[in-house]
Amino acid sequence: MVETKDLLARLLDEKKLSYCQDCGSCTGSCPMAKALPGKYNPRRLLQRVSHDLPELLKSEELWLCAWCYRCTERCPQGVQPTEIFLLTRNLASEGGMIPENPKAIMREIMRSGRSVSVPDGFDEWREGYGLPPIGATISQKAIEEQRKIFGEEYLRRIEA
Amino acid sequence: MTYLLYTGCVASVRELGYEMSMRAVFKKLGIDLKQRDDFNCCMPACLVHSVDYKRGLALTTRNLAIAEEEDLPLMTLCSSCFGNLSRAKYLLDSNQALKRDVNGLLGEVGREYRGKVRVEHVVTTLYKDYGPDGVKKLSVNPLKGLRAAPFYGCHIFLPERYAGFDEAEFPQKLDKLINATGAESVDYHEKTSCCIGCGAFFGKVSDEAGLKLAEGILDDVKSSGADVIVATCPFCIMQLEVGQIKLRESEGKEYGIPVIHYIDALGLAIGLKPDELGLDLRRISVSPLLEKLGMN
Repeated sequence: MVETKDLLARLLDEKKLSYCQDCGSCTGSCPMAKALPGKYNPRRLLQRVSHDLPELLKSEELWLCAWCYRCTERCPQGVQPTEIFLLTRNLASEGGMIPENPKAIMREIMRSGRSVSVPDGFDEWREGYGLPPIGATISQKAIEEQRKIFGEEYLRRIEA
Repeated sequence: MTYLLYTGCVASVRELGYEMSMRAVFKKLGIDLKQRDDFNCCMPACLVHSVDYKRGLALTTRNLAIAEEEDLPLMTLCSSCFGNLSRAKYLLDSNQALKRDVNGLLGEVGREYRGKVRVEHVVTTLYKDYGPDGVKKLSVNPLKGLRAAPFYGCHIFLPERYAGFDEAEFPQKLDKLINATGAESVDYHEKTSCCIGCGAFFGKVSDEAGLKLAEGILDDVKSSGADVIVATCPFCIMQLEVGQIKLRESEGKEYGIPVIHYIDALGLAIGLKPDELGLDLRRISVSPLLEKLGMN
């Protein structure tokens, strides 16, 4: 179990969270903030990582980043909000706080090797357009490999 | 030139038109594609990496290790796959300790990442292997009079240090490739915006956000007077097509703006037929576009 203070130390050190000047370049660059004003704000999220972590781990806001990387590209201080959000989500995941939507997609990935399920008879449909078959899933060996790399403990987290 | 094809989930399951178009154009250009059945999902950072940073990276990197076994550059169709694979490569190549840890996990299934693989995308390949001059020479059927709105997407150029393709603030390579087909690239504010198509998995909240962003992008394209949106990523294509359908249903807004991939535009310019490019599979009719080009 990663301790909260260890995670904070790691974020402050490795990912330079302590360099944040609160300038708001991240929020000004963020498509999700543009679409959801008052609901999503990466600058405020970064503040909450250092000041309000336990509550943040339970919040919906932590799972709204769409990974466009504009904040990470533009931060004048070299802070990488996307990396910080990933590590913060890792901590939420340890506490079993993964929202259902991403969990369902991850279960599909671990079952079939793909994030999108393949409908029945799909290869015949593809063939009609002159496209080679892709199979209902990736090879069984590949599925076993990915489940082994992910590991039992983590499989349990997304199946819970 | 031979590439190892990484079709990705969305392109091969939801965007058959794109895959058809890519295969038809590459065949005509003499680019060979090798395929395998054991690549796993690129593992978007927002999903598996969110559960565990290193295990997520290891699962992404497994694909890079397979490509190294083949000793071929990897060809991605989807900008999100390109972004996730490029991110893994960047992080591991610049951090030996992380690379050791990830290789520890890959070692459990007998695989290893060395750092030799090159990750490409359909559009990065066309730019690097042909470039605007090469495309111009290939364009026997130039798309004269067509006003095209380039939509860059995100991961093909962001962050610049992962993607290594174009400038982060003012990318121009898609514009140049479009102009090389004989079409005219149109400037508009939303050209380098994000559609959140590939990274938003939070259900209703992100659906609403996606629609709102699509509306802003479509309004801007409409007022630019462009005939067509030319994108690089299957997620962007879906968001901007499905967005038009939803806005028609919910608000009675009628855009009628065809959305195609750059490879479709190139295909038409090098003399391939619309049905060879899967353009009949587009969710928004491409008839106005073909009419303008006199190809109907």
